[in-house]
Amino acid sequence: MATICTIDISSDAAPGFGGINESMTLTQAGSLTDIDSTTGFQRRKLSATAAVDLVTMASENIEPKDSVASKVYIRNIGDGKGNVDKTVGVTIGVNAEPIGKLYGGDWMMMPLTCIDADDVTATPATDDTVVLEFVMFYEEA
Amino acid sequence: MATTTAAVTLTSDLLSDAMSVNASTTCMKAGTTADGLDQLEYAVVEIPTGDEYDLICSTPTASKASKLYVKNHAIDETYFVAITQNAQAIGRLYGGDWMFIPADFHDAAGDIAITSNGGTNKIEYALFHEGTALTTT
Repeated sequence: MATICTIDISSDAAPGFGGINESMTLTQAGSLTDIDSTTGFQRRKLSATAAVDLVTMASENIEPKDSVASKVYIRNIGDGKGNVDKTVGVTIGVNAEPIGKLYGGDWMMMPLTCIDADDVTATPATDDTVVLEFVMFYEEA
Repeated sequence: MATTTAAVTLTSDLLSDAMSVNASTTCMKAGTTADGLDQLEYAVVEIPTGDEYDLICSTPTASKASKLYVKNHAIDETYFVAITQNAQAIGRLYGGDWMFIPADFHDAAGDIAITSNGGTNKIEYALFHEGTALTTT
């Protein structure tokens, strides 16, 4: 049971930048054993500027283990009807700390502590409809 | 216009039906549709165990659309770095792990900090941004 994530970055911001292409197999902390739990792939539709929990750590059906090798993937896919607006952003946070804003089409892959207080939050900048896709991979406590 | 694209492929067979996600984004300046991120900070650093260090030495312009890539090149899977922002623990990158996040550096306290555990971790990072607070001599 393997979970594999590959990133490919290219940029002409600097002429000598050769790009980045890396792959990682998601494993349990400190070992080569594959990570074993997931929330499954989910979508969340937002149409207001209020902050919402994308992942509420204390409410997961399978309790996540704290401070190990958990990861979350999140993508702003636009309005869910094929319209992707680069000017519409959603701030992703952890425990009320804003990490950064995902504009239309942007994605992120971030490690998580999975501590109960460290919920993953989403706060749209406007009340335009925006849909987030996300999935968390973690270890069972 | 500078063009920076970031693509991801994510596959998993943890569920009964295998998951496969492919996505790509062109990294634009905040709130724009025609102006791409055009500045880059790219480095490899070795982080010794012990103290917490700021990974980003200068402060990119706050509340913009910066993107940060970090990879832990440690070859020992028990080594890891703990990532924090503004004293909030984000998570750990074990040997071989990477992350790619939007980083809006909302204020001077919003720097990304890193602490090495297990031994010296070699860290590669790339920050794509649209301006930084330069330090005068």
